[in-house]
Amino acid sequence: MKREIPLAITFISGFLLIVALFIPHKPFGTLQETFNDWYIIVSGFTMILGIDSLLLHNWNKVKRRKSDWPYALALIMSFFLTFLWGLYSIVYEPTHNPFAPTASFLKYFYKSIFVPLQATMFALLAFFIASAAYRAFRAREINSTLLLFSAALVMLGRVPEGEQAAPYVFGIISLLFAVYFFIEASLLTAGFLKYLYIALGVLLLAAIYPVGKLLLAYLPKIADWIMNIPQLAAKRGILIGVALGGIAMSLRIIVGIERTYLK
Amino acid sequence: MTSVFWTWVAAFFTLSILSFLYKDNPFYKFAEHIYVGSSAAFYVLQLWVFDVYPKLVGGFQYKVGIEKWILIIPAFLSVLMLTRFIKPISWLSRWAIAFTVGMAAGLGVTGLLQGFLVPQVKATFLPFYVPGTSFWNSFYLSVNNILIVLGTVATIFYFYFSREHKGALGTISRAGITFIMIAFGASFGYTVMARVSLLIGRMYFLIHDWLHLA
Amino acid sequence: MREFFEKLGKIDRRIIYLIVAIGVITPILFKARLPIKPLPEVRQAFDYIESLPESSAVLISIDYDASSMPELQPMLYALLRHVFRKNLRVIMLGHWPLGVPLGQIALEDVAKEMGKKYGVDYCFLGYRPGIAAVMLNLGKEIRSVFASDYKYTPLDSLPMMRNIHNYNDIALLIGLEAGSVGDFWVQFAQARFNQKIILGSTAVITPDIYPYLQAGQIVGLIGGLRGAADYETLVNTPGPASIGMYSQTVVHILVVALIILGNVGYFVLRRRK
Repeated sequence: MKREIPLAITFISGFLLIVALFIPHKPFGTLQETFNDWYIIVSGFTMILGIDSLLLHNWNKVKRRKSDWPYALALIMSFFLTFLWGLYSIVYEPTHNPFAPTASFLKYFYKSIFVPLQATMFALLAFFIASAAYRAFRAREINSTLLLFSAALVMLGRVPEGEQAAPYVFGIISLLFAVYFFIEASLLTAGFLKYLYIALGVLLLAAIYPVGKLLLAYLPKIADWIMNIPQLAAKRGILIGVALGGIAMSLRIIVGIERTYLK
Repeated sequence: MTSVFWTWVAAFFTLSILSFLYKDNPFYKFAEHIYVGSSAAFYVLQLWVFDVYPKLVGGFQYKVGIEKWILIIPAFLSVLMLTRFIKPISWLSRWAIAFTVGMAAGLGVTGLLQGFLVPQVKATFLPFYVPGTSFWNSFYLSVNNILIVLGTVATIFYFYFSREHKGALGTISRAGITFIMIAFGASFGYTVMARVSLLIGRMYFLIHDWLHLA
Repeated sequence: MREFFEKLGKIDRRIIYLIVAIGVITPILFKARLPIKPLPEVRQAFDYIESLPESSAVLISIDYDASSMPELQPMLYALLRHVFRKNLRVIMLGHWPLGVPLGQIALEDVAKEMGKKYGVDYCFLGYRPGIAAVMLNLGKEIRSVFASDYKYTPLDSLPMMRNIHNYNDIALLIGLEAGSVGDFWVQFAQARFNQKIILGSTAVITPDIYPYLQAGQIVGLIGGLRGAADYETLVNTPGPASIGMYSQTVVHILVVALIILGNVGYFVLRRRK
């Protein structure tokens, strides 16, 4: 019973929605609406599922005076203070909704404490990504070089006046790599490779002016093209695969092959 | 006056989080824990304000006849969901979870099939020749169409055929990885854009709203 | 030479942080501006709204929270100014519980600024859990999901809502997205009910939305802070997004420069091994 009933519930609810897609008339259409309505009500409760363990875990920290227990206490207190403030807005304020624009909860707590905390938490990532770009983004082989070039073209092509900077960026890269090729060549004995390196270096130097001109004129269009043609094609391919996987997984759940959610 | 006070509060929490960049410190930890605690409370309040009160309490108040009494089913399932907090009967919550999982799976299948797979595959059937305003315009549009079709197919091949990539399959997979790398590069570029924008937003708050410097 | 690059490779991350911070702050302090040329997909969104007949209903969905506020909030302000200027009616709801109030804050701000009346020109429904289920049922009858607005006023008591029942009565849906809710809008409102949709998105998810644009599943795409700045420019109300564009350009150049510098060090050190 502990297993069969949940499996039956999953099957019935999932199967009904699939039937209703193909036969949207009565009774399936109306049943689907009713089930959706129940889902709207019940799924809200999944949001609060982890809260007991969050509070308990932190309360244990406080009780056992583990290191950092004052922070655990701050967490618990902020939970209850937030809750009480919201409750106050619900009970005593005219709209009975803490999320109304006139409610003190929204005006003060949400705008001045919650929003700055959440927004700044994610703003930190700007620093980390810049640092990671410097440390980890290496042109090791042809594929990562391709990735790098696409990233650079999009980054400069998608900001206003990025095309003004791009020729200089390209010039510097070409210059550096030309120097690199010349050094390589100088260390080699005469042969095919040596001349190849020299030719590559010369080619790069010669490319600076025409490519720079090209970037200046067309960079935003190039970025547009990357986004709308090759980028789109690959994303579509990936997303079609993800969709197929999602459909397969959902069907496995509905027919009861996949039952990890019952653990 | 109160608004000045609350702007300072907002600035205090903004700076507390930013202080993490120097190193981990009590201000950051304090702010982080407050964030976690208050967002948990936030969910509880939202549940009442936007779900239980209008849908259940309101439903029982204003609905009539069968529509009213049938609400007992979702109310019962919601209570079952809460048995999760009571160890001995926590297994009962599986009934409610089974319902949400079944619904999510059913919605997933139908949405992806009708709303993603069919229209996206359809949109990939593009003509390889597009008449344009001039020869070069036509050439450009045609090549773009060919690239979209080729790129989509090659990417699917690269990811979803687990056999060894040799011969013709190898060639098309290699084409696939080229497209994928360009796409990942573009995504990286856009991710940088997003992160920087978030930082700009916070800095603008500090400079404009708090310090009134710009 | 080698020592120099080794040192450069081990540079304290905080120095990089400082450079980034300076790159962001300086343009804001000096109120530096760059001319902005709107992208085609943003203009497409703008033109679609321009083409709507007066007093059509527009549904706006708030599917983000404060973690992406700097990108999407300016977008929302610009869109609201445009929509209200065209005398369209706004119905707002949301799917991200922590962010839904952000939508309402902007809605009240712009409505006040443009002299719009609650219940007549705009209304705020709030939030219900269950994303896709909400979208499907909105296609039958809005009242089955939202019997009342956020103040618990029944929808029929709001003059603007009297003749609005489902997607058939809504000319346009604008989804502001920081995650996967936009995909659901396309799958359930567009594919099943043929609802016209414009998506405004954070830059992180913008690349994933291009396939919808090409397939004609959405009629416009406003991506990231750049998209927001484009829209501010089109509506001719420069705001935080346009101001931020200079910093954005500076830091993008900086990041590209950092990548180059990192790679030069990498090649030099690899060569000497």
